[in-house]
Amino acid sequence: MSLVAPALGPDAGDDLGATARLVALVRRAAAVLPTSWPLETFIATNPLAGFEDLPFEEAGLRAHGLFGAAPTLPEPTYRRLHAAGTISDDALRWAVGDAVGSATGTVVGSRPQGRPLTLGDLLVADLVHGRVPAPAPVAAQTLAARCDRLLGTEVGRSVDEEASWWVAALVGGRSGGWDPPDLDLGLYRSWRAASGLDRRLPRAVRRLLTAAPADPRHALRAGLDWCADDTTAGTFLQHHLVALPGWASLLHHRGTDALVDYLALRVTLERALVTTVGALDRVTAASGALVPPHTEPVVTGPVRLADALARVGATGADLTPDGRQHILEAFDRLPVDRRPFVWLAAHERGYRSALLGGLRSTEPAPRPAPRHAAVFCIDPRSEGLRRHLESVGDVATFGFAGFFAVAMAYQDAAGGEATPRCPVLVEPRVLLGERPSDGAVERVARDLRGRRVAAGAHDGFHEAKDDLVGPYALADAGGWVAGPLAVARTLAAGTYGRVRAAAGRALVPGSATELTPGLSLTLDEQVLLARVLLTSTGLHQAGARLVLVCGHGSTTENNPYRSALDCGACGGHRGAPNARVAAAVLNREEVRRNLDERGVVVADDTWFVAGEHDTATDEVTLLDQHLVPVSHRADIDDLQRRLGSAGRALAVERAGAFPGGPPRSGPRRTVAAVRRRSVDWAQVLPEWGLAGNAAFVIGPRSLTEGVDLGRRVFLHSYDAEADAGGDALETILTAPMVVAQWINCQYYFSSVAPDVFGAGTKVVHNVTAGSAGVVAGPGGDLCLGLPWQSVGWGGELVHEPLRLLTVVEAPPARIDAVVERNQVLRRLFGNGWVALAAREGPDDSWHERRRDGTWRTWDGSDLQEES
Amino acid sequence: MTGTTSGTGRHGLSPMTKVEVVVRGEDVRAVEEVFAATGVRGFTGVTGVSGLGHDGYHQGRLLFNDRAVLTLLLTVVPEERADTLIDGLRTLFEERSGVMFVSDVGVSRPEYFR
Repeated sequence: MSLVAPALGPDAGDDLGATARLVALVRRAAAVLPTSWPLETFIATNPLAGFEDLPFEEAGLRAHGLFGAAPTLPEPTYRRLHAAGTISDDALRWAVGDAVGSATGTVVGSRPQGRPLTLGDLLVADLVHGRVPAPAPVAAQTLAARCDRLLGTEVGRSVDEEASWWVAALVGGRSGGWDPPDLDLGLYRSWRAASGLDRRLPRAVRRLLTAAPADPRHALRAGLDWCADDTTAGTFLQHHLVALPGWASLLHHRGTDALVDYLALRVTLERALVTTVGALDRVTAASGALVPPHTEPVVTGPVRLADALARVGATGADLTPDGRQHILEAFDRLPVDRRPFVWLAAHERGYRSALLGGLRSTEPAPRPAPRHAAVFCIDPRSEGLRRHLESVGDVATFGFAGFFAVAMAYQDAAGGEATPRCPVLVEPRVLLGERPSDGAVERVARDLRGRRVAAGAHDGFHEAKDDLVGPYALADAGGWVAGPLAVARTLAAGTYGRVRAAAGRALVPGSATELTPGLSLTLDEQVLLARVLLTSTGLHQAGARLVLVCGHGSTTENNPYRSALDCGACGGHRGAPNARVAAAVLNREEVRRNLDERGVVVADDTWFVAGEHDTATDEVTLLDQHLVPVSHRADIDDLQRRLGSAGRALAVERAGAFPGGPPRSGPRRTVAAVRRRSVDWAQVLPEWGLAGNAAFVIGPRSLTEGVDLGRRVFLHSYDAEADAGGDALETILTAPMVVAQWINCQYYFSSVAPDVFGAGTKVVHNVTAGSAGVVAGPGGDLCLGLPWQSVGWGGELVHEPLRLLTVVEAPPARIDAVVERNQVLRRLFGNGWVALAAREGPDDSWHERRRDGTWRTWDGSDLQEES
Repeated sequence: MTGTTSGTGRHGLSPMTKVEVVVRGEDVRAVEEVFAATGVRGFTGVTGVSGLGHDGYHQGRLLFNDRAVLTLLLTVVPEERADTLIDGLRTLFEERSGVMFVSDVGVSRPEYFR
């Protein structure tokens, strides 16, 4: 089945110039769409990635005009945070001074009591008490929207409903037990053929649809014929694309030809409907674009000033002439629609100052080599496990992106389709397959048969359940067992989970498999992988006998968003395979020898073992134990005990963050309660994932060791002394930090604009279109972003939407050099999508890099340029 | 398949138009789609090109980010189709970063480019 018409290459007799321009126009218009990934590989992305060339504030306002999505929390929410003390007066004063570019201490008059009245007093009064106009309504520039505004029709809704039904049907194939006709013709042609006969449509509309061009390219071009120029056409197309951003994003992921097909359907139907209500001439005229008058009164500078003066108990007479001019100019530089960004900056300031103030400023004391070292993914959830593991003792921990420099496509022993196991920033550079270990071929084959039986039963049940008709047959055939099973899963989730795990083990005992990088990676590639991992982290210098390379994944039940809880650096998959490959490479004698020749010395008695942290249960499984030499078995047992203690302590800590707080029982029951969430099929909040993420620290562990960072910080190990050229820093900033920024923005926009860039509540989610995504209830647009239960609970937001702060311990000049040679970094730091703080070493104070590339001390009162 | 920039008609070569574009890795697919829509039958891509542009330096290689680095895409088309291609690419670059260079070249096997 093909989703779209034949690819948009030229046809004989086609107007090549027009086709090329059409493709370019659609592609350009689609740049504003968020990126959409199928559910099984949910990758966090910045939904406003298409706007990153703009400063954050401008991008936010532009996106608001297009999607209707708020770029920040509402001002009243920030005001409540201020009243509650979460946002301090000092932070607010700092942020507003920064925004208007003036010292807030500037005296602009005097209060009746004789005390000086400062610029900051009035700006803060305006922020805290100023009038908040309702946001301007989005004035969609489709012909349908114009027609609806003009005549009160519902053309827009009709177009959206028709488009979403057809895209869902075609993407998902069989839908509702009925196949749309002529699927192979593609979306537009199939729809046109069916709609011409659709008796629900008025005859006049059907006649117009039948007369419309048969080719989607021609139809779309015909639909643009009223546009005076490319700008008008581009805006028109953009508004059609953002009408249902979820479906449009999915199609964009498949290519521009899919979007052309989709847009052809929309504009052709729209045109027919608008024509039949007699509005075409009026809505295609330039005046048709007129926005309905915004009824909210404009809050002018003098009005704001009068309000602010009243709040501080003063009048205009208390201002000096210069002072009045000064404050009005400041209001001009800070229009009302920019005020929420000042609140955001103030909100961030409080968290960031506390974070930097809490980092360690002393050189670590020399200590004996630990028995174990462990490198974890930079994911903020690892921070908790690292902290608890270190407190158990005799373990040094490190952070590195969880794909561990293994940019591979991976195929498991069952022989399924190979999937990318690396950040989407890179193409997999090698295909690696899981194979039976020597002497274990028969056992693995037997295990695989068991696995297939288990998977087949599971898939069959769920496929039948998800189908519209299937459940009726399923109830007949399997209801006798499904009913009691459902009761068991609901009332005794923990017991059910244990029983299911035991049954799974019986069917699928642990197979003796291994990943053999030597078969796919050249020795040079293996040495490079090992060198990058070791020299970026300093892992080899820990002097440990046993080194854990620990990926992560999340075990949850009945959760379409489970891959959002897995490892983003592994392409939205569990991290075990990458950890296994990295450990296998690092244990190879030839690799060690080559590393040695390059000055990267790994002690002969060091063994690398792979592991996987289950972030839903905080259990760590050590992998490939059949490969561990006898000499290190005792070390494995010791590490396993320590991981068990750390995991239980972390589970108790996490329990406090769930709604209702921790159970009022002992640690054992608390841990059991946390783990029960993982197997409870009715649980919409198995874990908080990366909620709270707000910073990315690049430096040695000595910077953060012993500090409770609340599982909010990405931690990447970095030794500035070992990286004079800045190569490692460049790799960290251009890859892991970029991925962290995507995650940060995904959580941010799912929080501030949950209705547009968030997926709504899980409770009413239905998986649709295969596993393309979810829709809320029976239909509508494909949901974007994270479900509400990833960022909030009940009516309250739990995730604090703050932009990422990147903290680097390295010479600022080196950071500048890396930023200046990478456009992606100039864009992110220069446009305020990510903030950057740095210090050269523990003895130095923290500095902040401004958007223009200059540095200032972190202390907000000092705005002097330092370098 | 050989080409030369030594000018049209020299050495009995057939005149063609060479179009080179430099774009971010994330925009390569868009350019390829415009190529395809114009009937371009082949092109050459060079990833990780470095250089200095109006908005600063562009690093030529990144260990784990293929999207942020620049890619040079080069194609050769018959002169009568060049305007169509150039028009499509200009439409694309009105709002996306990218540079385009157009030059006259000669090729020895014109049938490969038609």
